[in-house]
Amino acid sequence: MHEEWTDKLSEYLDDELSPRERQAVESHLRGCAECAAVLDDLTRVVERAQRLDRRPPRADLWDGIAARIETRGAAPRRVSFTLPQLAAAAVVLIAASAGIAWQFADRAASRSDIARSTEAQSRASSGYEALAEREPSAERSNIDIAHVSFADAQYDAAVSDLEKALQNGRRRLDKTTIAIVEHNLQIIDQAIEQARQALETDPANDYLSGHLVEARRRKLDLLRRAAALTTESD
Amino acid sequence: MALSADTPIQTGIETDVALAARGDASAFERLYRTHVARIHSLTRRMLSSDEADEVTQDIFVRTWQKLSQFRGDSAFTTWLHRLAVNVVIERRRTFAIQRERMAPDPAVLDSLPVAPPRADLKVDFEHAIGQLPPGAREVFLLHDVEGYKHREIAVMLGVATGTSKRQLHRARMLMRKHLNG
Repeated sequence: MHEEWTDKLSEYLDDELSPRERQAVESHLRGCAECAAVLDDLTRVVERAQRLDRRPPRADLWDGIAARIETRGAAPRRVSFTLPQLAAAAVVLIAASAGIAWQFADRAASRSDIARSTEAQSRASSGYEALAEREPSAERSNIDIAHVSFADAQYDAAVSDLEKALQNGRRRLDKTTIAIVEHNLQIIDQAIEQARQALETDPANDYLSGHLVEARRRKLDLLRRAAALTTESD
Repeated sequence: MALSADTPIQTGIETDVALAARGDASAFERLYRTHVARIHSLTRRMLSSDEADEVTQDIFVRTWQKLSQFRGDSAFTTWLHRLAVNVVIERRRTFAIQRERMAPDPAVLDSLPVAPPRADLKVDFEHAIGQLPPGAREVFLLHDVEGYKHREIAVMLGVATGTSKRQLHRARMLMRKHLNG
């Protein structure tokens, strides 16, 4: 057996030699029965390998797999909205927030006789801040908004839990969805803050209290729906 | 093609892949039953009978977790098999088998014990594969049994194409010797 030739036989068999090398090997094989026999053996080895059976495991492994995928949840899938859906959601929330801000600003401005409603419409938060700053500090420190049912510890705990759930499951949402949800939460938070500040100037205003409750309910609802999206396929 | 609610209705495996990607465990079980023989045979030969069950389960759990990433650029069977090979290679590396895989050892051609011929030639052939040195066995299984090309094997194993070719020839020569023994 000539190793310098047999070393090339696998590549010859797999048709991976250059035409020149192939010709040289074939020329050698014609005159060397020993190397030709090696080639026959290697051919048999390859044929046997290609005919190997595929046998299933002796025991059914499915139950173990099923238990593990149930424990870890369903196949993670990315949940996404269509662009029109996202755009519509954003428009509704922005409009709602702007509407609330405008109404807060309008009422607060009338009560304190400050003509800042235009500014409040276009930049609501700065309008409220400006109004709040004009109130005596003693009055602000005594503001009680405890009667707002969504301002309790239970609400804060629920929001905190949902925020954690959303944070843990955010990898299941696509980036656009995450961005929209976060943007909308930001808008609602801004509305909540605006209502809170407006109540500081007018704590007895039921209208403002109602809007604060509504904004907080809206936040809870959005968080619930966003968190549900992350676990929808579980 | 990304899997989504708008994915057109398909048949057989493709349908089950689409359903499983949406969380349908029954569809995933059908995929498991269709492919388990091939995956288990791969793990049994590349690793050992003792590890094959556990690693096969790992592969299917990993498949379930990654189904949303399957984009249909290749056949599901091809994608699954490649994932399985990656898991197996990862497992081999974990056990540091990989470290000695490509060590040059020409004497091994003479050291492989020749098993006495058995009545069941298939079992005998399988047994002979199991006796190959780890590196040669890995390449032999991937190339001659599973049908991968040297350039694919080189990428999977992180070696040069020439190394893959040398290991394959080494494995075939050992198998020849074993069968002729």
